[in-house]
Amino acid sequence: MTLNYIVFAASALLFGGSAVVALAWAMRKGQLENFQRGATSIFDADEPIGRVTDSFPGQKPKPAGGATKRS
Amino acid sequence: MNHAATIFVGVMLTFASAWLGLVFLPYVQLGNIEPAAIEGSTDAYPKPLGGLAARGRGVYIAGGCVYCHTQQIRPEGFGADIERGWGPRRTVARDYMYDRPHLMGTNRTGPDLANIGARQPSSKWHHLHLYNPRITSPGSVMPSFRYLYEKRKITGERSRLALELPEEWKPESGYEIVPTDEALALVAYLQALDHTTPLKEAETP
Amino acid sequence: MSDTRREKSSSPASPAPRGGKAIGRASDRGGSVERPIDPERAARRRFRVDESTRVPVLTFFTGGAFWLLAGSILALLASIKLHTPEFLDGASWLTFGRVRPAHLNTMIYGWASPTGIGVILWLTARLAKAELRFPRLLVAAAVVWNVAVLWGTIGILRGEGTSIEWIEFPPYVPPLLVLAFSIVALSVATTFHDRGEAHVYVSQWYIFGAIFWFPWLYTVVELLMVYRPMAGSPQASVNWWFAHNVLGLWLTPIGLATIYYLIPKVLGRPVHSYYLSIVGFWSLALFYNWAGAHHLIGGPVPAWLVTVSIVASMMMLIPVGTVAINHHFTMVGRFAILKYSPTLRFIVFGAMSYTAVSVQGSFQSLRDWNEVTHFTHYTIAHAHLGVYSFFTMTMFGALYYIMPRLTRWEWASARLIRVHFWGTAGGMAIYWIGLTWGGVLQGAAMNDPKVPFLDIVKMMIPYLWSRSLAGVLMTTGHVAFAALFTMNMLHLGKRRYEPTLLDDPREYARLIASPPAWEETPAS
Repeated sequence: MTLNYIVFAASALLFGGSAVVALAWAMRKGQLENFQRGATSIFDADEPIGRVTDSFPGQKPKPAGGATKRS
Repeated sequence: MNHAATIFVGVMLTFASAWLGLVFLPYVQLGNIEPAAIEGSTDAYPKPLGGLAARGRGVYIAGGCVYCHTQQIRPEGFGADIERGWGPRRTVARDYMYDRPHLMGTNRTGPDLANIGARQPSSKWHHLHLYNPRITSPGSVMPSFRYLYEKRKITGERSRLALELPEEWKPESGYEIVPTDEALALVAYLQALDHTTPLKEAETP
Repeated sequence: MSDTRREKSSSPASPAPRGGKAIGRASDRGGSVERPIDPERAARRRFRVDESTRVPVLTFFTGGAFWLLAGSILALLASIKLHTPEFLDGASWLTFGRVRPAHLNTMIYGWASPTGIGVILWLTARLAKAELRFPRLLVAAAVVWNVAVLWGTIGILRGEGTSIEWIEFPPYVPPLLVLAFSIVALSVATTFHDRGEAHVYVSQWYIFGAIFWFPWLYTVVELLMVYRPMAGSPQASVNWWFAHNVLGLWLTPIGLATIYYLIPKVLGRPVHSYYLSIVGFWSLALFYNWAGAHHLIGGPVPAWLVTVSIVASMMMLIPVGTVAINHHFTMVGRFAILKYSPTLRFIVFGAMSYTAVSVQGSFQSLRDWNEVTHFTHYTIAHAHLGVYSFFTMTMFGALYYIMPRLTRWEWASARLIRVHFWGTAGGMAIYWIGLTWGGVLQGAAMNDPKVPFLDIVKMMIPYLWSRSLAGVLMTTGHVAFAALFTMNMLHLGKRRYEPTLLDDPREYARLIASPPAWEETPAS
């Protein structure tokens, strides 16, 4: 039974503690500011906002080099 | 967004407290229940299961009975569990104090079994019903537990335990159907399922 | 840590990207200032990042696809047995009480979790814009995980299951799952640490939540229920705290992380309100954890516990509302693409199901409604709306997007994708309508003591048949999917240079070339 109490205490500490750490980190790094920038962080120059990227465009015969260029 | 910090810390702490509420407090509140003395006798309720019934509980678990049968009676006025005759009173935490794991169940494809031992005390009935539920309950969708029974050639005298099957379910002549040890244990467990003892915390309507 | 990263970490505070209001506009196509402006370079990096996830992610997916088929067969068996009990009833290992938990566990631990892990790994690398760490260890983790699931499933069929719903695997299996999972968590954490993108996107919050919550839920429930079992009714509250949270704090965050990435990514349109998405995440974290005890209304647990969990279930309308509003407004003006894009069609189906299942869940936790539906097939329909219609369909959508980028091979057949979609979507619709309606009738009859119990059993038979029909349709869809999956992995079929779309590609080209409706007004 004592083991059960240890499990309770340990996971409560682990859980609450790490959540607070995560949150403190997020605020220190400014993650909770400037939401517009956050929304656009998944776009890049090769797949910019405004381009539909729903399907892999296949491997067009292309010059050497790993990058896939989209037409 | 400067208030965000305060808000989010609050959120986190509340989240952690949910765990305490849902897991820890029930444990403290219900984890240390003692059996209740039965009025007018030296006996206490509940009692741990006896050897054969305890083994039968294992067979109940291995067969996955819990997926179609609950073992909990909801209180009067919430559902019709008591009116259906499934039990004289609601079940309470004390009823389950020896249950590891709990077998309260979540589905009633079949009827509740919290008091099946009191409702159906006959081992004969249970064996016929387990061997093929359609024998005792036409239209039932319960699986047959034939694998808990053995078909044996009768050598000498007929076994004392052999099932007395109706004509259409009988094996060919010269053979008999006898329960295995597992079937005997399972029936002992079902007969031991009885939560009818009155308890102060659960009024009998 | 590279120079670029240090430079970026300071940027949120700098004034430049604060003009973020303009970013949603077409005029600012390059994104914010510190991202590479050279498309060639950005594409090369994306290729490298995807490539690093290829072997581990495909290993997880392959296991998932296998268990999807195995789980479908078990599901069909279980479903048929409920209306035709004589079906294959001779053998102990095929009895309903074993096939049903085998189905549940193969689907949750064999299909949903590994597929979710694969998606998490891919998303983590993509969002971090960094290569995935420990790919070889991850392959070993995938192998260990699948061996554990196989071992556990055989254990359940042999009668060694625990009969504790959602954790039926025999006691020798969980340590293996925990071992495999810790490798996954390690890889996610270190990849995140290496990231080349300073901002933590909302999907990453959800992934962190999932990665942290699942091992915590799983180890606590195993310790308190299997290895050092508590006695009696507190077990029931721990059981449902876990079972409810596996969906809510493990599968749901993965599904939402996927949706929050893929809808904007496919459309090329930032999510409608990023602020709402963050609010949604934290309110999910706050309320979901409390909701599990609504499975115990009327049961032998303290009344305050049940009341709190009913309140929490109603509060869930907040995160669900934010998610629904966000996804809807991100889609507005672009619903036509659903006709063509396999990814978007599955994902949007999943997103809509999330709203449906959550709203349904909130209301069925109310006592009056629960009194009728508790203990009936209604609950089973609800669970499938969550795990299948929301999570599984979302994962299908994600696979349609991810797989070709990893295998470098386009999907072989639009027709098979259509079979997959209509089989699963149609099957799910029949499943939900049949069992929800049947469940309400069942519950109403059960609460009327004048109706003999066997009459209720007989009354349910047609509804149980409708489930088997639905199961056949869904399994057909899964077979089509497995065929596509195999062809994709082995590069079978014709080499394609154009995307595999569900409808006329020329119309599609015209559709996406036309100026998108939202670009006139900036999203805010």
